[in-house]
Amino acid sequence: MTGSGDERPDEIELRLGAELTNLPIIRSLTSSIAMRADFDLDAIADLKLAVDEACSTLVTRAAPDAVLKCVFKVSKDEIRFVVSIVSTNDAAPSNDSFGWRVLTTLTDHTNSWVEPNGQSGQHLVHIELAKRRADGPA
Amino acid sequence: MTDTTSSKSKSRSNPDTGYEHLAPMFHELAELDEQDPRRSGLRNELVTGHLPLAEHIAARFSNRGVPREDLVQVATLGLINAVDRFQPDRGTDFLSFAVPTVMGEVRRHFRDASWSMHVPRRLKELNLAINSASAELSQRLGRAPTPSELARHLDLSQEQVYEGLEAGNAYHSMSLDEALSPDADSDSLGETLGETDTALDGVEDYESLRPLIERLPERERMILTLRFFRHMTQTQIADRIGISQMHVSRLLTRTLEQLRQGMLGDEPD
Repeated sequence: MTGSGDERPDEIELRLGAELTNLPIIRSLTSSIAMRADFDLDAIADLKLAVDEACSTLVTRAAPDAVLKCVFKVSKDEIRFVVSIVSTNDAAPSNDSFGWRVLTTLTDHTNSWVEPNGQSGQHLVHIELAKRRADGPA
Repeated sequence: MTDTTSSKSKSRSNPDTGYEHLAPMFHELAELDEQDPRRSGLRNELVTGHLPLAEHIAARFSNRGVPREDLVQVATLGLINAVDRFQPDRGTDFLSFAVPTVMGEVRRHFRDASWSMHVPRRLKELNLAINSASAELSQRLGRAPTPSELARHLDLSQEQVYEGLEAGNAYHSMSLDEALSPDADSDSLGETLGETDTALDGVEDYESLRPLIERLPERERMILTLRFFRHMTQTQIADRIGISQMHVSRLLTRTLEQLRQGMLGDEPD
């Protein structure tokens, strides 16, 4: 099972209660994934911070008893992270906030979007991040 | 020189330290022009001459779970800062200026670098080894190393490197109160606040953010500014400030957490 499988991105999914106290679990999973993907230490640290920020943003707009869903996709060149939450608020996270600046500084790609969640008055809010592998030795 | 009986009381206020011969060099240094090539020689002599002081202070803090050589290194950095900042024309002697400066530096190291849970010595040492290898490799590569590069450099397995990196997460994190008390020891950083101000133009939550940033200790504010407004990498910041990349990472994590909590606290709705 150690095949390189370049074409097939590995997906890792984590679902947990939308509580700030759960953030350390997500942080250590992030760190573990980025370490094992052999990202450099700066990239590992940046991704951890960014995931932390994205998850905190969504936790604060979670509907009661909502589940935070985190999906990591590891491919050859990047780690992509999507976090989603059910919210009663249909506004996407603001692109002018300090938190957004943090995300865009730390990652190579940042995006957020909102979609209806079927049930009346509920919405699904997503934040997507991608961190690319730094170029090798110059 | 006076009789020996008075030497005891004398040593309390003005210890007979063996550094007296160095004092005139501070005046010499102060009189030299900024560009004068003799400056660095004098500075080196002053630092080397006072090294026993740094070692002495480090020794007072040894056997408390932080390796002796780390303490000596931190104390030496404190000493260099003290030599650079000492102004002989202020009337105090160097030792009364340097001792609190160096002690403060060592205490701060303890506060920031002590382990919050019991981590086996092997892992602490592994973590320290990774830290110094990481600094060395960063210099050589011009970027932060990857775990596999660290493993090759240290002749360890990658799993061991992962373990050592994870161990770094067990470092003590300061309480909020402690972190919010401003450090008064980095006076050169004062201007970062103004810079942050300009950089924050157009950020919508600026009003609630500004007082929170102002309340950060100087060093944390400096790190925040360098990372998010000057786009330096953590490794570059570590190099600039003289702490490890892992330490920068921990401080940033905590700082962002504090800012988020603060923003939640005084959100209008």
